[in-house]
Amino acid sequence: MSRILLDRVTVRVSVDGRPAPKTLLQQLSLDLTERRIGVIGANGSGKSTLLRLLNGLVAPSEGTVRVDGADTVRAVREVRRRVGFVFTDPLSQLVMPTGREDVDLSLRRSIRNAAERRALAESALERFGLLPLADQSIYELSGGERQLLALAAVLAVDPEVLVLDEPSTLLDLRNRELLRRTLAGLRQQVILSTHDLELAQDMDRVLVVDAGRIAFDGGPAAAVAHYRALSAEGLPAGGTGSAGAVVADGAGVSPGRPRPGQP
Amino acid sequence: MSGHGFLLAAYVPGTSLIHRSPLWLKFLLVVGCGMASFLIADWAVAAAALAVLCGVFLLSGAGAARLFRAVRPVLPVLLAIGLFQWWQLGAPTAARIVLNVLICVVAASILTATTPVQELLDGVASLARPFRRLGADPERFALTIAIMLRSIPFVAEAFSNVRDSARARGLERNPRALVLPVIITTVAFARQTGEALAARGLGEPGDADD
Repeated sequence: MSRILLDRVTVRVSVDGRPAPKTLLQQLSLDLTERRIGVIGANGSGKSTLLRLLNGLVAPSEGTVRVDGADTVRAVREVRRRVGFVFTDPLSQLVMPTGREDVDLSLRRSIRNAAERRALAESALERFGLLPLADQSIYELSGGERQLLALAAVLAVDPEVLVLDEPSTLLDLRNRELLRRTLAGLRQQVILSTHDLELAQDMDRVLVVDAGRIAFDGGPAAAVAHYRALSAEGLPAGGTGSAGAVVADGAGVSPGRPRPGQP
Repeated sequence: MSGHGFLLAAYVPGTSLIHRSPLWLKFLLVVGCGMASFLIADWAVAAAALAVLCGVFLLSGAGAARLFRAVRPVLPVLLAIGLFQWWQLGAPTAARIVLNVLICVVAASILTATTPVQELLDGVASLARPFRRLGADPERFALTIAIMLRSIPFVAEAFSNVRDSARARGLERNPRALVLPVIITTVAFARQTGEALAARGLGEPGDADD
């Protein structure tokens, strides 16, 4: 299993019309070694920024991120060989007109021999049952098929770590289930952000991100309970009852680690 | 954004003679047609050449409907050019110019309809290999061409969607309502594509050389 280390990472971006830069993540230190790691939190909390740090898509303003010792800024090429990234919307990442061509494109990075590349692309598609759809336009595929294709294209190069940014957001129930089963069967270390709390329950460790900080870090049941409680804060009266109950249910389930200064 | 519109015909799997022809021959056809479009001075010759090319396209088994879909996006522009040239230089010249442009589009469509994108990429990378001595990266060059081909239908579709939205709001005569959203959508698409390529480690110097 890979080891990803974030050492006092802060990410800031400048925003037009604002004198000071906006802080997206603040002083994050994490050691990610578990096989399945989930990241949950509200929209705009910093989940996607956290995931993008792991593949070098976002560079830290302060601190360092290392994947098996490789710095995501100085050794970004090495990092991207190790860390595959799947976007929320597969159409954002499928750049070729058909599945076969897109998987082939992934393999161009490492394999020059066209015949070898094509054989590998076929086996990658077959693994996900996508071979019959290989020559179909990506626009003619269903949402689930596209998501599986995006996964196949990333996994074709056999990365050590798979990072997925809200992979189930655009999927219906059936395709969500298919995705869950597929992820469960992967040999790779999986790190994903999600609003699907059922999917979060499949993880070994779950981080709750709130306003650019890790608000909770622990087992899935306790993390989900913490997130529910966090989300219920500030809601109009009547909306907090069930969240309170869930916090009570989850309180003793997992040895979670609420972060200092956080609820 | 569906991205269904195509300026050039998308690849159609097949085993026709055109499919089996070597890539260099198809490249030569496109380059030859591009050059011929400057040299052909008679509209009747241009019409004959276009008819032959359409015949070659149909021989590939890609179908007349696909040929029409490939040509359709340029028809409004060609109509405008044709009318202007007719007014300025007369009917024969207008016909020759329009037919010559169609020759280029159909020739390029023969190439794209009968050659998988991977093969095109390999071909472009091979063609660009001699420029490696000058510091060029053939793989990046091939990738750029592939992204360009993929982007044409997207931009055409973006324009079509924006035009529909403008029409629904009664703004079809407002150039700002038509042009600005297309520019914004296209820039967003370019950023998104760049990010997707970066995440997959594509387009970095020295790919496939390790």
